[in-house]
Amino acid sequence: MKNTSKILILLLIFSMILSLAACQKKEASDDEGEIQEEIANEGENADLEGTTLNIVATSESYKEFFDKFTDETGIKVEFISMSSGELLSRVKAEEGKPMADIWFGGGLDAFMEAKEEGLLESYISKESEDIPAEFKDPEGYWIGKGLTIVGLLVNKDILEENNLPMPTSWKDLTNPVYKDEIIMSNPAISGTNYAAVNGLLQMMGEEEGWKFFEELDKNIPYYAKRGKDPQLKTMEGEFAIGIIPADKSAFDLQEEQNVEVVFPEDGIPWVPEGVAIFKNSQNLEGAKAFIDFMLSKENQQILAQIDGKDGAQMVKPGVEGYDLGVPEKRFIKQDLSSFGKDREPILERWSELVGDK
Amino acid sequence: MKIEKNRVSNKIGTHFLNFIDKLILLTILFLVIIFIFYPMLSVISKSFIVNGEFTLDIYKSLLNKNIMLLKNSLFVAILTTLISTLLSIAVSIYISFTNSKYKKILTTILMLTMISPPFVSSLAYISLFGRRGFITHNILGFTANTYGWQGIVAMQSLGFTSLNALMLIGVINGIDKSLFNSSLDLGGNSSHTISKILIPLMRHGIIIVGLLTFVRSLADFSTPIIIGGSFNVLATQAYLNVVAYSNLPMAAAISILLFIPAIIAFILYRIFLKDSNIITGTNFREESDETMLRIEGFFPRLLQIISYLFLTMMILQYLSIFISAMTKQRFGTMYFTFDNIKESKNYISGSFLRSIIYSLITGVVGSIIGFLISYYLEIRKIKGMKIIDFISTMPYIIPGTFFGLGYILAFNKYPLELTGTGLIVILNCIFKQLPLPTKASSAVISQINPQVTEACKDLGAHDIYILKDVITPMSKSAFLISFVNNFTATMTTIGSIIFLVYPGKKLATLVMFDAIQSGKYRIGSVIACMLILITLVVNIIFSKFLLEEKNVY
Repeated sequence: MKNTSKILILLLIFSMILSLAACQKKEASDDEGEIQEEIANEGENADLEGTTLNIVATSESYKEFFDKFTDETGIKVEFISMSSGELLSRVKAEEGKPMADIWFGGGLDAFMEAKEEGLLESYISKESEDIPAEFKDPEGYWIGKGLTIVGLLVNKDILEENNLPMPTSWKDLTNPVYKDEIIMSNPAISGTNYAAVNGLLQMMGEEEGWKFFEELDKNIPYYAKRGKDPQLKTMEGEFAIGIIPADKSAFDLQEEQNVEVVFPEDGIPWVPEGVAIFKNSQNLEGAKAFIDFMLSKENQQILAQIDGKDGAQMVKPGVEGYDLGVPEKRFIKQDLSSFGKDREPILERWSELVGDK
Repeated sequence: MKIEKNRVSNKIGTHFLNFIDKLILLTILFLVIIFIFYPMLSVISKSFIVNGEFTLDIYKSLLNKNIMLLKNSLFVAILTTLISTLLSIAVSIYISFTNSKYKKILTTILMLTMISPPFVSSLAYISLFGRRGFITHNILGFTANTYGWQGIVAMQSLGFTSLNALMLIGVINGIDKSLFNSSLDLGGNSSHTISKILIPLMRHGIIIVGLLTFVRSLADFSTPIIIGGSFNVLATQAYLNVVAYSNLPMAAAISILLFIPAIIAFILYRIFLKDSNIITGTNFREESDETMLRIEGFFPRLLQIISYLFLTMMILQYLSIFISAMTKQRFGTMYFTFDNIKESKNYISGSFLRSIIYSLITGVVGSIIGFLISYYLEIRKIKGMKIIDFISTMPYIIPGTFFGLGYILAFNKYPLELTGTGLIVILNCIFKQLPLPTKASSAVISQINPQVTEACKDLGAHDIYILKDVITPMSKSAFLISFVNNFTATMTTIGSIIFLVYPGKKLATLVMFDAIQSGKYRIGSVIACMLILITLVVNIIFSKFLLEEKNVY
């Protein structure tokens, strides 16, 4: 006991210093590894087995999908989930150093911004040939993995309690009877709700569109700061109507509570969820292999299952998903390039409109 | 100083021991400056420098837009501080003087509820008191609007009180009980003794508790996000600037704005502390189990009622978290199931083990660094150590996200490229929580009679030997307290590490955060329950150790 404490203290201090030093060394060796990897990649059949692919995903639910990739290719997958905004912040904070190889899912506007800032790597997969042009970047910097479509979740208990009619269209939502009964997320935070704003502006036209949001704003007590809040809070009965991403998880709620998913008659806004490879990826070949894997018909099918998407929501033609009865005809005709280039002016005007809610 | 020079020890002290002594001191200086001061500086400079040029633009737009938010933040923080401090005073006094059978149960409830998982508590609150809340709607039959500052203040006050009350119970334990006896013998009743003797003696502890509550309320972003409604605060805005707007300079500037009231409060506390020297004689050895004060008369009864109201609320809240972990709903009807637990397996994979390992490392290393700082501060009274102590207290009063942001900005390039490693998370936890072990060690070390160390010196012992053979063995209880505190804090931390974790390095709290963020509230509840259990077990085991340790004296 006499000497142990002293030795312990010294050991710990030295180990901390050493570990610091080790970090620098490790970094140096990483650089070397990168060079070697690049050399290895020159040859076509680089052996990817045993390498690691780091993925930033939108949720934890893709674990099984990534496991399947590991089973087929031998490439280990490590992943973390975070929002697109947070990801961009962190990449900026680290001055462009990528925190992962693959960016899997998230609002398209963030991908467009990242492309603009030179954070992405271009790759055109053979599997992407039959994907319609509107779901992929012409230069191959990003590709859609599926569509998020915007619908309404309606809590029928609350409607009954307050004697309110069932809403069937976007226009209905401006009816003053719904005062304080509608919840939507701040479009600067939620990709889905940004798609709603941008899509509806395109559908209704600038002037009419903004007038609509001004009217809608009167019925909304505040804008949620998390993407999932409209769904959660409508289900909890805190609100009668929530503006939500309409996927199977929303339809599943119909079994939990007296709620219903409604596709507005006047149009459904939609946006592709992006997938991209980060510039300076540590495992570029592995990342490419992943994109190929993801776009194969078989795996698109699995992805449709995990995401709970209707076949109409998948980018690849002929992929079967859940039958959610998505009325494809009601999809709004959208110019997707507007999602990136008009984002700032739209959000600015929007925040002026709603003020500090 | 003159006497020092003539000491035998200084003449026979070998160069090697002097070298070790200097090395330890320098290492501490180095660590505190690199891992506390430098990251803070990085955040501050980020808010002034845009595209490589010095500018005040950010502050101009910050002040234009966010003055209202600053007012909101201060308003909530002050109210929360008042309510939570009053609550914790009532609860701690009641628990300290109730009979020992209840005491154990009530203390366990406090420990259990010490951890308030982000979002989960607020969501529990909505499901209890919301429009369709179990209590407001199903039992009382009315529809309540829970959003706004009222909800934030209520949730924060309740959430912070358990930890505050535990700290105050520690303070009460340290008070010389004979004072109460004297008061009672002189004819004072319980009410009198509590209000005239006990509470004034707790003053120092109460101020610390108030300060910590104030700072934690300012820094809390998760409660306002869920139940703030249209009522916004600065902490939420800072968080959103990172996760939604990717505007780091703005996030940095808002964090600094938050930091200002916190530092003012802290400096006031330091000034106040100087002229309050009543409590510094916290006596750890004086331990008599006799309860002299009885809960009778108006004032103690009031404390009792407040305590029970508080505890009922806590039990309700945690029960609802537990229930949501164990149930699902089908067509509006709840049913019992293990499905959530099974499903959560996919989420957890390895993150719990990692959390425990990180917490253990933080517990051990943090305790040692804190101990060494307080040694050089209290025993050696080295010049400039006060400044180091001040800097090392900073992380506790700055918002967690600020500190985390500092780490990404400071450690993303050579020679200190730590981002992406597990080490950066551990270092962040160690230094974020450093004030806990430092203060715990200082409390114990300052009890050591200076004559003991003087005597050792006269007998020729070198400082290093005094540290190793005298101070260290006498500070065992400080180590234990520090370890438990650090372990708990790391197990449950989220704000400061949320931006530091990379793929493959997830911790349990972050997995919980993700689950809740993606709407999987029930899985979040399962993870929260597991976190609470693990932390509780460690707390109970070590408080057992602590009690045994005390009996040795």
